Amino acid sequence: MKRYFAVLLGVLTAIGGFVDIGDLVTNAQAGARFGWSLVWVVVLGVLGICVFAEMSGRIAAVSHRATFDLVRERLGPRMGLLNLFGSMSVTFLTFIAEIGGVALALQLLSSVSHVLVAMFVAAAVWIVLWRAKFSSIENVLGLMGLALIVFAVALWQLGPDWSELSSQLSPAEKPAAEGWAVYAFFGVALFGAAMTPYEVFFFSSGGVEERWTSKDIGVMRANVFLGFPLGGVLSVAIAGCAAVVFLPQGITVETLGQVGLPVAVALGKIGLAVVVLGFFAATFGAACETGLSVGYSLAQYSGFQWGKYVRPREAAGFHVVLLVATVLAAGVLLTGVDPIMVTEVSVVFSALALPLTYFPILVVANDPDYLGEHRNGRLANVLGVFYLVVITIASIAAIPLMVITSMGQG
Amino acid sequence: MKLRGLTAALAGVLAALLCSCSLVEEPDAAAWDQQAAQALEDAASEVATTRLALETAAQERVWSSYTTVVVADAEEAIVTVADNLARVQAPAGRTEQAADVGALMDRAVASVRAARSLAVQGRYDDPASIDELDRLATDLEDAAGAR
Amino acid sequence: MDGYDAALHLLDRQVVDREGQLVAKVDDVELTLEPDGSLVATGLLVGLPALLPRFGDRLGSWLLDKYVQAGEERADRALPGVIEFELVDDIGSGVELSVLRKGLVRPRTAEVPAGVERWRLGDLLGMRVRCGDLPKRSRVLDVRLAGVPHRTERPLVTGLVVGPGRPGSLFGYDRKPDLGPLAVAVVVRRLHRHVRGVDVGPGVEIDRAANEVRISPGVPLLPLL
Repeated sequence: MKRYFAVLLGVLTAIGGFVDIGDLVTNAQAGARFGWSLVWVVVLGVLGICVFAEMSGRIAAVSHRATFDLVRERLGPRMGLLNLFGSMSVTFLTFIAEIGGVALALQLLSSVSHVLVAMFVAAAVWIVLWRAKFSSIENVLGLMGLALIVFAVALWQLGPDWSELSSQLSPAEKPAAEGWAVYAFFGVALFGAAMTPYEVFFFSSGGVEERWTSKDIGVMRANVFLGFPLGGVLSVAIAGCAAVVFLPQGITVETLGQVGLPVAVALGKIGLAVVVLGFFAATFGAACETGLSVGYSLAQYSGFQWGKYVRPREAAGFHVVLLVATVLAAGVLLTGVDPIMVTEVSVVFSALALPLTYFPILVVANDPDYLGEHRNGRLANVLGVFYLVVITIASIAAIPLMVITSMGQG
Repeated sequence: MKLRGLTAALAGVLAALLCSCSLVEEPDAAAWDQQAAQALEDAASEVATTRLALETAAQERVWSSYTTVVVADAEEAIVTVADNLARVQAPAGRTEQAADVGALMDRAVASVRAARSLAVQGRYDDPASIDELDRLATDLEDAAGAR
Repeated sequence: MDGYDAALHLLDRQVVDREGQLVAKVDDVELTLEPDGSLVATGLLVGLPALLPRFGDRLGSWLLDKYVQAGEERADRALPGVIEFELVDDIGSGVELSVLRKGLVRPRTAEVPAGVERWRLGDLLGMRVRCGDLPKRSRVLDVRLAGVPHRTERPLVTGLVVGPGRPGSLFGYDRKPDLGPLAVAVVVRRLHRHVRGVDVGPGVEIDRAANEVRISPGVPLLPLL
């Protein structure tokens, strides 16, 4: 009984924790401009994150080594450092965006400027990272994040013409007014939003934090293969809501307030309250995850003690990194930069940075020294190599598309 | 040698970036048309957002601070769009069109601003304001389509 | 499998103490040249003075210079910390020690006992290899140590992996014939098709002063798989 409960809890928190500011903004933007014609990218990205997270979760369970440990072991200090620099910058950018996202969500409640609120949010995030137990961060915020299911309810309540909406699912249904370059740019952004590198750093480091063993592989797989795809359904619902409400009116999405508006149209104040709670939980949870991930990646590269499974003074360096990262993020937000803009940049750079962490994981997941009998089977390898190709293409295309389309404007 | 080539390429890219960031843009006619169309579409989007927010608020489907934030964000965005377009030096053959577009933009900014003012006061169903936003949305879309 | 590869299995791994507390990364490995000419791994080197030189000949020494300058008042600034090899209990996904981490890492003093020389694995990796039967741009890619890693056995350097390429770019595909995924294995093995193993012994001369390894004609070059 207890075991089933653990699986259920894991799946539910995986669903609630899947969506973050990047998914919220990018899916709403893509839905408003392209309807459901980019849903296939979300499906591709969600399956990709499943493959990536399953491999690194398995490695963490069997060998107790998290992602960045392996990056340096396989790539050496030079490539590893380059990788650390890239991945940490992207994760830090996402960290800024998430804190800003929490502030934007609170702004929707109070209409107090998000710049001011962000300072308090950053302080709150740091206190949680310092004091709260790892499992309570994951469980409480993950379960609250389930509030975003209201997007699916709202989509159903909006009563779209389902046959028309599902006929948009093919890429050929791209609205004629939009160019293919912009379509491809949003494709890369959606892919980056679904496959953000920090998700894997956090997932595998979390496995070490919670002291998984090879007995936990089954539970881990259930979390990944049920939780992430159901979280992906939320992404599709967000895009669907935007497609129904915004696409016909020619509205493009640039604020978090717009993202929630379709729910208000469909369900009124109560639905909107639930959605804002979901915004808050999803972004706050992701802020904690990204903050920890900054510390994890630096500590795992350098080898000093990390993790919330030891007392803060036993991992003092790790906690100093968390504090510095939080202060820096607050400083960046204090300049008044638009968190949505930071989000847009961060998802594209996520796509750019992905191959460097993906490749070492794929190699180590095959290594019997690490995994023994649990190494990749044929299916995992077919998917693994397929995604190696996809991730490489997305990474190469990211910057040129960003420049050509001026961040998706043209 | 390789390093020097790379440095030169980087310097070139940086120089190109700097040139494209000059204070006043001077596009040719085709580029201006495109910029104007883009700005008009962006403005139409903000007008439609304002309209939708007011309508939703009038049906009491959203609380007041949410409406305020959405409408204020729309106002900020449309002001930026209008300012950015106004700073573009219109090419010789486009001065008249530029004046038209500028006037339309000013009208849009003024309407969104008025709507924001009403929204802050809690008056969501002022018919004159809603009608003007509706008309504007059509006018902006038409103007964008004509470019 | 006889022995293990120092760069693949030891370098850059996490050092963990007896109770699972994290200590450091293996930033470099100290090799001692004994009077009888044998080369033995004697310590795990940790800290920036061990790590920085591995960033390449020029970049590495520049970084180390800057690091030393930033704390020039300290006499031991350029000295890495050391964990004696005898304390290594097991080498798996991490390097497990038989002691607790408290007070473990000591700076490696500059004095060396008479008759021995201290080398670093990082110096050996990437050294030019002169050999008639290998491509000109061949380098030392990995160093093979004897025995199952355990404190009772002397971790003697028994062989070198040599060939064109960069140290660490083999990813272990030279060691295990069935290491997947197949597509990656094929590409990596194709890129390293000239890589060979050579036993350390007569005919293999490691010249640290000239920064090169000379392999005499007639020394058997062993295919890796």
